[in-house]
Amino acid sequence: MNDTDERISGSLVLKLAAAWALVGIPLAWGVWQVFLKSLDLFR
Amino acid sequence: MAAQSVPPVPRAGWLTFLDREHSIAGPKYSRWLVPPAALAIHLSIGQAYAFSVFNLPLSHLLGGRESAPGDWQLSTIGWVFSAAIVFLGLSAAVFGAWLERVGPRRAMFVSALCFGGGFELAAVGVSLHEFWLVLVGYGVIGGIGLGLGYISPVSTLIKWFPDRPGMATGMAIMGFGGGAMIASPLSTALMARFKDVAPQGVAPAFVAMGLLYLAFMMFGVFTVRVPREGWAPAGWTAPTRAGRMMTTGTVTADRAIRTPQFWLLWAVLCLNVTAGIGVLGQASPMIQEMFPGVISASAAAGFVGLLSLANMGGRFAWSSLSDYVGRKTVYATFFLLGAALYAVIPATGHAGNVVLFVAGYVIILSMYGGGFATIPAYLRDMFGTSQVGAIHGRLLTAWSTAGVLGPMLVNYIREYEIAHGVAKADAYTITMHIMAGLLVIGFVCNLLVRPVDERHLELESAAASAAGA
Repeated sequence: MNDTDERISGSLVLKLAAAWALVGIPLAWGVWQVFLKSLDLFR
Repeated sequence: MAAQSVPPVPRAGWLTFLDREHSIAGPKYSRWLVPPAALAIHLSIGQAYAFSVFNLPLSHLLGGRESAPGDWQLSTIGWVFSAAIVFLGLSAAVFGAWLERVGPRRAMFVSALCFGGGFELAAVGVSLHEFWLVLVGYGVIGGIGLGLGYISPVSTLIKWFPDRPGMATGMAIMGFGGGAMIASPLSTALMARFKDVAPQGVAPAFVAMGLLYLAFMMFGVFTVRVPREGWAPAGWTAPTRAGRMMTTGTVTADRAIRTPQFWLLWAVLCLNVTAGIGVLGQASPMIQEMFPGVISASAAAGFVGLLSLANMGGRFAWSSLSDYVGRKTVYATFFLLGAALYAVIPATGHAGNVVLFVAGYVIILSMYGGGFATIPAYLRDMFGTSQVGAIHGRLLTAWSTAGVLGPMLVNYIREYEIAHGVAKADAYTITMHIMAGLLVIGFVCNLLVRPVDERHLELESAAASAAGA
């Protein structure tokens, strides 16, 4: 693998991480909110 | 393919970037960017299931703390959500073929404009206290955005993940379940933030959500790509022989609706959704009435939350499992296990066993979500990849039907029972047994699903299929 390939693959990893974080963080926040609410069932 | 022999019509202007030919992936594009693009759309439109958060504030716009004369009734406000779901089904059915022609990017773009724009028009309606504007804005225009957004990433995901179509579409459709989880606390926070600016803070909250969702959906628009002709995942080769439950050919959407397979799958989806949707809407009063004095209102809210998590998790888990055990097996499990659970759950209620009652419903709701998420891959197996988005769009009318049927069964039978002297704790028993019966019918429909007859395949694919056989 040459330098250019490494740069491209590095930027792709960054793109993937950013894209998944953009959708994953709000989803995780929403799931956490519901999880906290669901704990009331067991109290 | 015959459809691809027609040269694309050249377009001018800045909107050309939306064309299918401008969204073909380059060699360095990763298919793992498509699920987040699809999730951006589904997480946004999933907000629809949290619209009820606005119901009470919308009914107090003039009166403040309580409804005043001239305020909208809750029953009137309910039409906004109903209209949105009806237009979801209609637009998915009507625009499915258009989506296949223009590609996912243009469809997602129109969906984002409709959904975001619908919120803005509804905000104007709330500010002017004109109900018809809210109905047209969120219900009609927003509903069209919902339908287009729901089906737009499905066929693209299946084309990118021919090796794991269940997992790929499950991921996107899971977003629709998760969207409400984000929207509910977000809407409450926005209304609280803007309550000093406008009555109940509803209109500014609508404006903010419209802009937010528009921007979020645009991320999906700019990220999605379609695979170039002949692309396949590394190390994967398309099956050349038709499997027991999988075609190697393609069936057009117009042709598909003339096959018994389409209507059997329509019944399969409708019955699976009917069995879950009625319970989802009545979960809070149901658990409180079945365990009087044991389950408080806040514990019941926790139960609803747990069911939402099961609904969302089931979408990903069951559809991913279907890639390994087959769609027919997964649906057979939904129907048999679901029927058994519905038959047994009333006994857990009578025995006062909350844990078994909750566990039973968690499994049922996971299968309800799984039914939504597994159906696109089932359609791909039956009718091929070419027009699966359009076929899926038409099949979603089963959802609209179940959306009316399910709550009607649960609510009216319960009311009838109580009116005839049945104790509230026992009023759900017959409903659950009817649900079990519906699931048995669904099991039979699923059992009758066979591969599509070759006469329905497009000419080229029929020849290829015959050559491979």
